[in-house]
Amino acid sequence: MKTYKLMKEDFPQFLSLLQEKGNLYGPVKSKNHYSFEKIDDLSKLTFNYTRTLMGLKKFVTPPRYKVKHFDKSGSEDIIPENETNIVIGAHPCDIHAMKILDKLFLGQIKDPYYKKRRENLVIVGHSCMPDENCLCTSTGTDMVSDGFDLFLTELQDFYLVWVGSSKGLFIIMSSEDLFSEKIDMCDIAEYTTWQENRQNSFKTTIPFHLMPDIIHLIYEKDELWNQFGEKCLSCGTCSLVCPTCNCFNVEDKILINADEVVRERMLDSCTLPYYSVVAGDHDFRPDRTKRLKLYYTHKLKEYIGKWGQPACVGCGRCVTYCPVGINVKTVSNAFYEAIQCVREVKKI
Amino acid sequence: MWTSEHKPVVGVFGFSGCAGDQLRLVHMEDELVTLFTTAEIKFFHMAQSHQEVDHVDIALVEGSINTKKQLEELKEIREKSTFLVALGTCACFGGIQYLNEKDKAFEERFKHVYGSNIKKEDFTVGEAIPPQPLCNFVKVDAMVPGCPIEKDNLLPIYTKLIKGIKPQKYPAPVCVECKLEGNDCLLLHGIPCIGPVVSAGCGAICPSHNLPCVGCWGPYEAANYKSMLDKLEEIGVDKETALRKLKLFGGSKAEEELEKVIK
Repeated sequence: MKTYKLMKEDFPQFLSLLQEKGNLYGPVKSKNHYSFEKIDDLSKLTFNYTRTLMGLKKFVTPPRYKVKHFDKSGSEDIIPENETNIVIGAHPCDIHAMKILDKLFLGQIKDPYYKKRRENLVIVGHSCMPDENCLCTSTGTDMVSDGFDLFLTELQDFYLVWVGSSKGLFIIMSSEDLFSEKIDMCDIAEYTTWQENRQNSFKTTIPFHLMPDIIHLIYEKDELWNQFGEKCLSCGTCSLVCPTCNCFNVEDKILINADEVVRERMLDSCTLPYYSVVAGDHDFRPDRTKRLKLYYTHKLKEYIGKWGQPACVGCGRCVTYCPVGINVKTVSNAFYEAIQCVREVKKI
Repeated sequence: MWTSEHKPVVGVFGFSGCAGDQLRLVHMEDELVTLFTTAEIKFFHMAQSHQEVDHVDIALVEGSINTKKQLEELKEIREKSTFLVALGTCACFGGIQYLNEKDKAFEERFKHVYGSNIKKEDFTVGEAIPPQPLCNFVKVDAMVPGCPIEKDNLLPIYTKLIKGIKPQKYPAPVCVECKLEGNDCLLLHGIPCIGPVVSAGCGAICPSHNLPCVGCWGPYEAANYKSMLDKLEEIGVDKETALRKLKLFGGSKAEEELEKVIK
C-alpha cells in the first residue's frame, strides 16, 4: 500500500480535485445529525463527526429504486448510468460494512444493480475518534486496510493518505504536486501516538465472539427475548440505519394505463410485520419477539458461523438511534448478565 | 377475482368525512382520463350526476358510518361488490369523529352538541348512531389509510385490482419513511412524536419539518401502544396528554389496544 503526505493547507485543493473527478458527497450536518450529502459548497463539509444516520449503503442499495420495466413487448433492466460518485469522510466501520455488502451482492451471484452502483463509487475514508456508542474494537472493524480507494488519517498539520486501489492511485497521480512521499520518523511517531490515543479512547467492549454459542444455548429461553419483544416498536429504525442490513422488498407496480409495470426495490426490515409471510399467507414470525430474535440471531450468530465475523461493524447507529434502547449493546449485555450464575463456575 | 373480458366496474362511495379522499381522486389530473377509461366507473358521488348501483367489482368507500341510513347503504354496497376498499382514515379506523367515543354515553355527547330539543331520530340524513369504521360492520378487503389518501398509495392497489390481482398488504409505520427521508428520531430529542404507532404513507412530512407526527393516517397494524406510552412518559408527557394524542386519529383500533394496555 502506497502512503503519501498531504499538507493541511493543500486540503481544499484536494477537495476541488475530487470535485473535478465526479459528484462529491461528504458528511454535512443536517438538522440533528450528520449525513452523506452531495457537496456543492465545500464549506458545508465537516469531518469532526462520529457517525452519519445512514452509512454508505444508500449509495449502493438506495432506499427505493426501479429495477425493471415491463410492457407488452417485453422487459428491460433499469441499470444505473455510468457516473463517478466520490464519497469522502467514510469511517473504518463504514468501509467494513461496505465490504460485507460486497460479499453478499458480488459473491457467486452478482446483483447487476448493486454492481453498477458499486463500480461508480469511489470511497475516500477519513480517520475518526470514538464516542461512548462506538463498538468497533469489539467487532474488529476499528482499523481498515482495504475496501477503500483512498484513506485519510488526519494528524496535526497534515494527512497521511493511504492508497487502497488503482482508482485511488490515479487520483493522486493526476495531481502529484499535492502529495509527498517523504514521510519522516517524526511523522510516523505522530501517527503512532495518535493511533495509541485513539485506541485508548474506546469505552465499550463486548466479547461478540462468544455470542454464537450463547445465542444457540439461550435460543428457546423466551423470557430473555420477550423483555425486548415487549419494548420493540417494530419501527424498522435499527435495520434502516444499520450499514450492513440490506434486506429489500420487491414490488411490481402496474401503471395507471394498466399496460406497463415498473418493478421497484425498497429497503426493508425484518422487524416489520408480514416480513416473513410466504405464499399461502403463512407468517413464520407473527410476533415482535420472534422478529427481533431473527434480527439478532442473524447478526450475531449465523453470520459469524458463515463468514467468521458478525454482521455488525460496531458503528453504534442502533445504539444511537433506537428510540427504546434495543441494540447490539443492550441485547448482548442482557444475555451476558443473564448467564452470570449464582453458583461459582470454576475454570477447568 | 373477475375475468378480464369486461372492464372492471368501479364504484366510489362516500359516508361521513370531509370528502377529501374522493376529492383526491378527482385531483389526480394527470391520471384522471385513464382512470375513467381503464375501468367503468358506475358510481362516483362527487364526479358524476348519473348514478346507479347494480353490481361493482371494486367499491372504494370513504368515510365513517354515522347514521342508520348509512349503515343500510354500506351493507347494500358490500352485498353488491366483489372487493371493498376502505378509503382514508375515517373509513379505515373511524377518523377524528370517533374521538371520545368511549368517554361518555353517546346520548350525553349528542345532547352536548345539539341540545335537548333535537332527537337523534329527527335527522333528515337518518337516525344518528355512534361513528364507527366500516370494518366494524362489514368485511373490508383492503385498507388505504390517509388524511387524505395519497395517490402513490392508492394507485398500486387500484391498478392491481382492475387487473384482477389481489393486492398484498405490507404495513409499515411512519418511522420507516422518516428514516428514508433522512431524519433521526424526534423522540430522541424529547419531542412527543407518535410516528411508531402510525401507518406510513404520508412520506413523514411532519417529522421531516421537525414537527411531531400527530397520527392522521391512523394506527399502524403492529403498533406497540404499551411501549409508545412508556416512551412518551419517559420524555415527560403526562398520561392524559399521551392518551389524547394516541386517540386523536386512532379510532376504534387505538381505543381497543389502549384499553388492553391500561388494564
